Amino acid sequence: MPDLAWFVVRRLAAALLVMLALSFAVYLIFYALPADPAHLACGKPCTPDRLEQARHFMQLDQTTIQQYLNFLRGIFVGRTFGEGAAAVQCNAPCFGYSFPLARPVTMLILERLPITASIAIGAAVIWLLVGVSLGVVAALKRGKLLDRLAVGFALIGVASPSFLVGLLAILVFGFWLNMVPVNGYVPLTESPVDWAWHLITPWLVLALLYAAAYIRLTRAQMLEELNLDHVTTARSKGAGEARVVLRHGFRGALVPIVTLFGLDLGGLLGGAILTEKVFSMQGLGELLLSAVGQLDVAVVVGTTLFSAFLIILANLVVDIVHGMLDPRVSHG
Amino acid sequence: MADRPVLEVHDLHVTFRTENGLVPAVDDIDFAVAPGKTLAIVGESGSGKSVSAAAVMGLLPSNADVRGEVQLDGRELVGLPNDELRKIRGNDIALVFQDALSALNPYYTVGWQVAEAYRLHHDASKREAHQRAVQLLDLVGIPAAARRANSYPHEFSGGMRQRVVIAMALVNDPKVLIADEPTTALDVTVQAQIMRLLEDVQTEFGTALVLISHDLGVVAEAADDVVVMYAGRAAERGTVRDLFQRAAHPYSLGLLGAMPRVDVPPKPRLTTIPGSPPSPGSITTGCPFQPRCAYADRVGERCITERPELTPRPGEGDHEAACHLGRRPSGV
Repeated sequence: MPDLAWFVVRRLAAALLVMLALSFAVYLIFYALPADPAHLACGKPCTPDRLEQARHFMQLDQTTIQQYLNFLRGIFVGRTFGEGAAAVQCNAPCFGYSFPLARPVTMLILERLPITASIAIGAAVIWLLVGVSLGVVAALKRGKLLDRLAVGFALIGVASPSFLVGLLAILVFGFWLNMVPVNGYVPLTESPVDWAWHLITPWLVLALLYAAAYIRLTRAQMLEELNLDHVTTARSKGAGEARVVLRHGFRGALVPIVTLFGLDLGGLLGGAILTEKVFSMQGLGELLLSAVGQLDVAVVVGTTLFSAFLIILANLVVDIVHGMLDPRVSHG
Repeated sequence: MADRPVLEVHDLHVTFRTENGLVPAVDDIDFAVAPGKTLAIVGESGSGKSVSAAAVMGLLPSNADVRGEVQLDGRELVGLPNDELRKIRGNDIALVFQDALSALNPYYTVGWQVAEAYRLHHDASKREAHQRAVQLLDLVGIPAAARRANSYPHEFSGGMRQRVVIAMALVNDPKVLIADEPTTALDVTVQAQIMRLLEDVQTEFGTALVLISHDLGVVAEAADDVVVMYAGRAAERGTVRDLFQRAAHPYSLGLLGAMPRVDVPPKPRLTTIPGSPPSPGSITTGCPFQPRCAYADRVGERCITERPELTPRPGEGDHEAACHLGRRPSGV
């Protein structure tokens, strides 16, 4: 176990470095843009005086490097914009302050995360169950009708853009059949049934798109695993087909599936931009999208860093789980 | 052969249905093995040795047609429903594979894998099965078996892994052990240890052994009877002494000539058999060995037009060879 702890510490340290570099890159990219966020804050008509004021208040009059250092400092000690009664406080850990939304970025992310997490986790459960079981069945029925159907379904899923499937689903199930609500989000704590009812369409749409990859991966892995000698060994021991397929065949297919799943879920938790937009869910993806439109650099940097953190975290979890699943890694 | 044979194979035919038509892999093979005795099946790669073994175990893929008789203690196995065969596999007939690394499942401890073989055929608790596994691992010579039972296959050396595979095969006291090239992947010294182990097992438990090998050195030492296979057919069969002292088929002589020996004055070079074995089904008329045969000229056209059948030859018992040469070829 101390090995594992040391591994995690090392990986987290590396993650911090990656995020530091990433935040710097995002800062540079946004400051290279010709547009000026202070212009938006200044309003109309914008006198040079007021523009200068806005710039000073948002601390945009400092050099890029200085602004970046302020940002880093804010994470640990918080930041204050402006002076006196009009001052805006951003408490540590301050990942920037959104002037258009008049909220600290940290708060914004924490507010939006439950929505995105609800979408992502629910969809992930569905696509994992559907994708993996269809993949196993397709491998067992290789070349038969069921296999063709599963592979065809996977092809459609891979090829479909989420906004198209999402809009079609809203049209068919929301308006024509009037079965599900077409938009909105109800917190889980308020009413679990309404929560699930509002989320079922985005779940299914996302699951359709993601399940495709899992069908193909599981099918390919199972075909490979079932051809291995140790699967024949299991059969020669007198194991029944179900045991041969699941205990001996599927066991080996598990590692790549878990790896893909971890990375997909990590990526999706950072925001399902198109799906959130289509279903009018105020999640992290929607937050990022509108921030880009309003040149809200603080939010863009904050959400980007958060997504990056999730992906790095997912990688770490995947590596640890991989070690637990494969004794050749942990008992090396 | 005082004892009644425990495993009898008559007129075994195996044909694979492929996209390119029917491919005969095993064509009319007979053999029998009595308790405590060893029958060796010898031949080059692709001669149908392993397919014969898989046919006996009922482990062939679904595109294989098996005809003929496979009798275990007088019970016909060909055509038995898979569920009945499952109860025999690993219980009455067990298989030892060539490559112990790939034959063992990398995700489970060796103790678990041996115990699994036991639990598949016995109504035993996990604990009892584990104890039985440790007992068998100890029997096959794994040092500190109780501790090593919790290790994974990759933590063992090649020879130790093969011992694990043998322990797994022996855990249900099978009547017949089929060993498919059990020593091919091992160092010479380890080969000798494994063959010694198999011999000890036979003496102790009266297990009948079907030894599939292309290593005539191993065969000379271990076998009682030998079947030499060529292109899916029996080229020659007899006792081990018949083969080594009175080989009647040019192919057997070729194999013997290609074997390094220390008991006779060394030849400047080992002889080789020119050419390579025919692909299954490619030779339909005449003797399948004829294109490579050094003696075909002495017989003439008959080798090309007429397929030789097994005919009795002088020897200890039922020495037979499928060759048009009436007398034992001389000059080798």
